[in-house]
Amino acid sequence: MSIAPEIVTPEIVTLENLRQITRERALGYGITLILIGVLEVLWFGGARSALKTTIEFGYNSSSAMPSIASALRIIPLFLGLLLLAPVASHSARRFIPERFKFTKGVRNCFIIVGGYLVIWPIALWFGVNSGGALRTLTIPVSTSGYVVGILTMVAGGLLAWRRFDRGASPLLYVGLIVFMLGFLVWVARGSNVSGLHLQLTGILAAAVAAATFLIFGSLSGTLCERSGVVNIAIEGQFMTGAISSVMVVSALNGTGISKLLGVLVAGILGALIGWVLAVMSLRYQANQIIVGIVIVAFCTAVTQFIMFQVLTTHQNLNGAYALPVWAVPFFSHIPIIGPILFDQNILVYVAILGVVIVNIALFRTRWGLRVRSVGEKPIASETVGVSVARMRYGAVILGGFVAGLGGAAFTIGPGTNFTFGMTNGYGYIALAIMIFGRWRPYGALMASLLFGFAIALSANLNIYLSQLVIPQQFISMLPYIITIAAVAGLVGRIRPPAADGVPFSRE
Amino acid sequence: MKLELRAVTKHFGSLAANKNVNLLVEPGQIHCLLGENGAGKSTLMNVLYGMITPDSGQLLINDEVVSIRDPKDAVTHKIGMVHQHFMLIPVFTVAENIILGSEPVKPWPFIDHQSATERIVSLAKEYNFDLDPSATIENLPIGTQQRVEILKALSHDAEVLILDEPTAVLTPQEAEALMIVMRTLKAQGKSIIFITHKLKEVLEIADVITVMRLGEVVGTTTPDETNEAALATMMVGRNVNLVVQKPPAHPGDATLEVTDLFVQDDRGLTAVKGVSFEVRAGEILAFAGVQGNGQTELVEALTGLRRVTAGSVILNGSELVGRSVRDVLNAGVGHVPEDRQRHGLVLSMSIADNLVLDQLNSSQYKSWSGRKLKAIEENGTRRIAEYDIRAQNEAEPLSSLSGGNQQKVVMARELSRELKVLICAQPTRGLDVGSIEFMHRQIVAIRDEGVAVVIISSELDEVIALGDRVAVLYDGKIQDIVPPTTSRADLGLLMAGSRPTANAGATS
Repeated sequence: MSIAPEIVTPEIVTLENLRQITRERALGYGITLILIGVLEVLWFGGARSALKTTIEFGYNSSSAMPSIASALRIIPLFLGLLLLAPVASHSARRFIPERFKFTKGVRNCFIIVGGYLVIWPIALWFGVNSGGALRTLTIPVSTSGYVVGILTMVAGGLLAWRRFDRGASPLLYVGLIVFMLGFLVWVARGSNVSGLHLQLTGILAAAVAAATFLIFGSLSGTLCERSGVVNIAIEGQFMTGAISSVMVVSALNGTGISKLLGVLVAGILGALIGWVLAVMSLRYQANQIIVGIVIVAFCTAVTQFIMFQVLTTHQNLNGAYALPVWAVPFFSHIPIIGPILFDQNILVYVAILGVVIVNIALFRTRWGLRVRSVGEKPIASETVGVSVARMRYGAVILGGFVAGLGGAAFTIGPGTNFTFGMTNGYGYIALAIMIFGRWRPYGALMASLLFGFAIALSANLNIYLSQLVIPQQFISMLPYIITIAAVAGLVGRIRPPAADGVPFSRE
Repeated sequence: MKLELRAVTKHFGSLAANKNVNLLVEPGQIHCLLGENGAGKSTLMNVLYGMITPDSGQLLINDEVVSIRDPKDAVTHKIGMVHQHFMLIPVFTVAENIILGSEPVKPWPFIDHQSATERIVSLAKEYNFDLDPSATIENLPIGTQQRVEILKALSHDAEVLILDEPTAVLTPQEAEALMIVMRTLKAQGKSIIFITHKLKEVLEIADVITVMRLGEVVGTTTPDETNEAALATMMVGRNVNLVVQKPPAHPGDATLEVTDLFVQDDRGLTAVKGVSFEVRAGEILAFAGVQGNGQTELVEALTGLRRVTAGSVILNGSELVGRSVRDVLNAGVGHVPEDRQRHGLVLSMSIADNLVLDQLNSSQYKSWSGRKLKAIEENGTRRIAEYDIRAQNEAEPLSSLSGGNQQKVVMARELSRELKVLICAQPTRGLDVGSIEFMHRQIVAIRDEGVAVVIISSELDEVIALGDRVAVLYDGKIQDIVPPTTSRADLGLLMAGSRPTANAGATS
């Protein structure tokens, strides 16, 4: 009897299956966006009458972009477009010499430098180069409502119609950002008369400031959970870092070196707490969640004692000293985004740099491969001679250091003194952000910015909301609603490290 | 490389997992280690691989005493192990899995992916493996994953390779391919320690066979000097009937009718894709198929544990889909679950309690204040005697029983109800020859009482031995329903998703 030669190999999860799921999702998102668009037209666009909103740009940017003569502006524009061309199109890439490798890093450099060179002359032409002065733009509310509504509908329609199996999310984000803009314009309606201008740059800068400690926190969570340990003690590390950095800096009267020392002490104390968590959960195999929560309770008690026993008698130990602000040359002068991203205190840059470094460390280095393997399947790592305990200790202590720095971002970052309860549960929110960012450093960065925006919004919209029927507390709920949605997995297929929170013993 | 274990002893509490075990593996030898579950084979191999520290004993490599304290030592002494449950990280690529623990780094601390890939490709070529280093493990079939495991061991220059029950998870074709790989390795001068239950494979490939029982070596032999029956006797310590004694079936009316059943798995992907079959009273329908082709979901759907997307399951004329698990059980469905420890039993509870787990609602065991302890206890004593469950008494916790005896408890409980259909998933997984014999006798006996029986098993031998008809599941569909006399080669092809060309028309 002859036997058929070809054998079909059974495949466990086919790519086609996954694409199918993504497509179905895309359809759902698309329809949702279209509905939101309709809502925008009816709601924002329906704000009839001649109500207008004044938006303020520019925000204490220390100086203007370097001015150049009109005729010469064509030169940076041309150079910038030249640099951006190989980024945008594959055919342009052919003109790059063979031995010059067009890696991801090179591409990012091209985007940054080319982008600046293009924005520079455009900013000069439009005259938004404020040099510290505020520019305003007044637009009618209903027109903006129609515009954003149609834009959202177009984004949703594209999403539903094309049903991209990948790259669906950018359109979704465009739709949501447009909705947000429309909402802001609507909320601040009548501000051309009342003078309560919508300070767009201000809100965004506040968002970045609020995002800083969230970036540190979620990065710490990512590091720990990638190695398989749940670090629920981030809140405690925040508190400890916040109070210790203030005390160190104040004790040394805020000299330059004391600020560096303050940041370091915050990190080291955070690492110490991480070490305690590691010993309890790795050596003694205690339940990680319970140990973490107990550590937070302990830190709360200790900070409470210091705050109300020590700092009330020695008030000079709780001073308001700010870390130096560094305006990145050139980039800080870009209208709107310059002051937001490139004119911040040093800790903000440390946070962003930390994200880049951790991402490289986790996904490019030997250490990272081992950490991730230990978080996925520790027994497999052990059989090839990777010590599970050592990798986990390392990751948890490093994570603690990062979270401690996040603590410093509450106090000496913006330059406020310590108040009890200022961490406000953000240590737990950081874990939700980590999930939102899908256990990836860049994801954590993006999600932190989103949450920071929600926090800044709830703090900045008070003045308008008091005139409206919406109680301010509803806006304050926004970050938490996003949290619940994120943790429930509404942001897509979420897959934690397989051995996350599972203790490991060899026998 | 010559490897010798001398007088290895290891106790877990009062239980002696290894007693004075001696083992000698010559270079270029395929050494089979045979024994029942709990005979101490895996313990011995974990000692050899440094996962477990022995109480006493010596390890000699090329006649020199060495000490292996952790897997890293084992790797430096050129011992490689392919574990029964693969030590691969599902979300990593083939290359990442192979280099883990000995990653090429250039410049420090960055992984040199290029040289890693080159090395893997050249290794794969050397041993004739077809592997894509950039593929993700979880997307690969089991047989390929196993090759990655083997290649991982070889990339550490292993001279002795331990294969722990490697064929348990493979299709017959994949197992055949593994045999070829083992012969290639042997030709290259590598030694292989091959652990298995399957007597056929042992006789086919072994140079030397060592049989273990209750932690001790009971004998060493070669395939020329022995046969299946003799090996089975050595393993179990008594004569074992390897062939199921099965009178011809006398099927009655159709009891269970399943039509166009669709079921989703945990990830929301359709796992059972339109399955239809019927089982008649007094008949065994056995499902063959490689694991992960919808078996688990099918069983869970039939027993009401998993929501059915579409289709119907009719038992004696009444619909079961959409009814609660209790209703399904009361309708006369018996269920021997795939994973007895997780789904069939409560390990910390006593044998007597486990024997009545699904009958606590019946007035037999329920009183106004709770349970009728006396009745439960009596039932326990009776069943223990009836099913020859090896336990001190009925109050002993189930966790202290061996796998075979645990399975007897499950079987005893299910058969103590009035059944119309018995659904057995992997009824003899992990059981030794003696317990398998017992289970098979029970299943045939219940069939002859007029109960419809559905068997789901990944063991082809079992499917052929028990089934009155054999259904082959592939990719969530019934590939074909054939008589048990169909050749293994044809069944193997059906299990792999293709059809035997010659008599395609004859079976349908």
